[in-house]
Order: sequence, then C-alpha cells, then structure tokens
Amino acid sequence: MQTPIPGAPPLTPSPGSPQIPSDAVEIALAASGDAHAFERLYRAHVARVHSLVRRMLGDEDAEEVTQDVFVRVWQKLGTFRGESAFGTWLHRLAVNVVLARRADLGTRRRRFHDDDAPLELVSARPGSPEAVMDFEQALARLPEGARQVFVLHDVEGYRHEEIAQMLGLATGTSKSQLHRARMALRHHMDR
Amino acid sequence: MTTGHWTSRLSEYLDNELSPPERAAADAHLRTCAACRATLDELRAVTARAHALSDHAPARDLWPAIAAAIGSEMSPLAPRRQRTPRRWSFSLPQLAAAAVLLVTASGAAVWSLAGRGATAVATAPRPSARTSPTTPPLRATSFTAQRPTAEQSYDAAVADLQRVVEAGRGRLDEKTLQIVRKNLATIDTAVAQARRAVEQDPANAYLNTYLARTMRRKIDLLRQVAALTAIES
Ligand SMILES: [Zn+2]
Repeated sequence: MQTPIPGAPPLTPSPGSPQIPSDAVEIALAASGDAHAFERLYRAHVARVHSLVRRMLGDEDAEEVTQDVFVRVWQKLGTFRGESAFGTWLHRLAVNVVLARRADLGTRRRRFHDDDAPLELVSARPGSPEAVMDFEQALARLPEGARQVFVLHDVEGYRHEEIAQMLGLATGTSKSQLHRARMALRHHMDR
Repeated sequence: MTTGHWTSRLSEYLDNELSPPERAAADAHLRTCAACRATLDELRAVTARAHALSDHAPARDLWPAIAAAIGSEMSPLAPRRQRTPRRWSFSLPQLAAAAVLLVTASGAAVWSLAGRGATAVATAPRPSARTSPTTPPLRATSFTAQRPTAEQSYDAAVADLQRVVEAGRGRLDEKTLQIVRKNLATIDTAVAQARRAVEQDPANAYLNTYLARTMRRKIDLLRQVAALTAIES
C-alpha cells in the first residue's frame, strides 16, 4: 500500500470514490460530547439534510428545520448503534423531524388528493422568462402530497410501504401521488 | 385517453410493481403503442433526474445557531465543578480537541513518538524476538536500519501504548475506561474500513489521508490515556 503522508491536510472526498469510510470516529467523539467533532459531522452532512428538508417543506422553513434536525441529532447521537450507515440514520431522523413539523403546520397546507386528475404546473407569471422552470422549481410547485411522496420515493429511495406509514396514507395513495408527480415533472426536464 | 392505454399504470410498470399477468399485458400493449412507450421513457427520465439532483448547503451557515442551541447541554462529560478526584477523570472531548490541535501543529510528532516507543521496546528484554524465527524483528530494526513504513510505526506505537495503558488501567475510573474502550473500538473499526478501502483503491489520495488521520487519532487517544495513567505513578 501507499505510505500515507503524516500531517497532510485533510482532503475532501473525491466524487468518484464511493468507498469513503464512515464517520465512525467523528460520531464517537461527538457522542461523547465533542462539539468540534459534531461540527465536522454537520459540515459533512448539512447539504444533504438541507436539500431533503427544502424539497419536503419548501424554502421558507428549510433553514430552521435543518437546524432542528442537527440539534436532534446531537441529542440522539448516543442512540446511534452503527447497525445502519450513519447517513441512513441521519436522513431517517431528518424525515421524522420534517414529518413532525408537517403535523405542526396542520392541515392548512395539506393537500392529499387521491384523484387522478392530471397535474399541470403553472408558473407564477405565465409567459415570463420564469415560465420555463427548471426541475427543482417544478418540484417545488407540486402540491405537497405529490411532492413529498416523490421526494421520499424517487430522491430518497424509500419504498411505498414505508412512505405510506410515514405519511399516514394508503399504499395505493402513495403510488398514485408518485405517478401524478412524475407525470407533471416530465414536462420540466431541464437537461 | 382510451381505456386501452396503460398511462396511469406506467409508474408501477417502471417500478416493477405490477403482477406478472399485468406486466405481460402492459408489455403487449407497449409493443404496439408508441404513445405509451414515449410516456414511459419520459417517466424513466424523471426518475433518473431525481437520482441525479445535486444537494445545496443552506445560504447561511447554520452552525452558529446550532452551536448555541446545543451549548446548554454541551460536553456532558466535562468537569462541571472541580472536585478532588481519587482517580483521574478527564473530559474526552477536551482530549480529542487537544489531539486534533497536536496533529495540526505537527503531524510528524506522532511518528516521532512512534519511533521513541519502538526504541523503548527494542531495548526492553524481549526473549521471543531472538528465539522465534517466525516473528520478524520488525520494531527492532525499523527505526535504525531503514525508514519505517507508516503502518509499521503505527502498529508498534499502538502496541506499546496499549501496554502502558493496560499497566495503568487501575488509575482510571470506570466511566473514563468505558469511554476509552468505546472510542478505541470505534476507531479500530474506522481503521479497518479505511485499510480495506485503501487496499481496493491504493492510489486514492483521500483514502490514504483518511487512513493516516484515523491511525493518528488512535495513537493520540492512547497517548493521552497513557499520560493520564502515568500521572500518579
Ligand atoms: Zn398506450
């Protein structure tokens, strides 16, 4: 093997290396109360968590909820057993925080229609340059139900059974919401 | 939409969720219907796009707010008030922070420490080193005859430090020992993972640096513990 260079500055993972070892050391140190180690965990994972939260809840609440997620992670780090990957555990915790927030927000923003009406996404100002939405913008404009199922299934990789349980839906509803989301998004492929 | 089209079920088709007879029927339809095939392609593109979405950090740094929020419960193991310890008790976070600083200040310090440890072992009475031909006299020669590999330095340093820690174990309180054990086990796992990863991808600079860093962390931790056990002796 190659000789590691003592004292070499830490490098950022290259995108092409899927074999990056886990954050085991940082996790152990953070779990024992090391805020510096926890900050390193935060920096390594914040983009991923923030993107999940933003896609689930929208821009407005994303930063505050992302903050909440990491405070929860700090509190619950001692219960992480290493049976799953830390990333998986973290994202599940983030989803739980999002779902709790969603419940707080109440039904005023809930729109879970189980109808098969095709979904058309309209720009705020049709005809304006913004009428051409990129994929993320189109995703943000989906009704909450379709959007959350789409994010959980197609972006985060959860199964319908898990999603149905998390969101309190019938599995069939999860499937039809996913289909509606995809059908709407296919017109907004930005590349 | 005519009733014959499969448009409304194409997501299930794509996700392999149709029953075998349904799938066969869908396949038969898709062979003859260009419209459904086109829609299926579009849906497939959407799922591929979803997988390829890139993540973005928030516009502002959330860490200060998080640090403030966790501040009240920070460092549960840090000494809240000074008490006179019968046994030495320490805050692992403080140790870890010190270790990180040490590495940052001088990465070579660890390796020179490893060298000192190996020298000490080489001069200690070790009858097996002479008599056992299966045991290479790794540590005895590595620092004098040739430049040691980092791995050899590491193994030697770890072995020596572990012996020191073992000898001084009685001077650490149980809670501290538990933390040390837990952290050593975690670091060992990380080292093993890193070693495996490096074996598979030896040229990967990130993995090599990660391995070196992880190894150093174990040595640092052991050093600190060894220093603590030596304090009252
Ligand atoms: Zn058709």
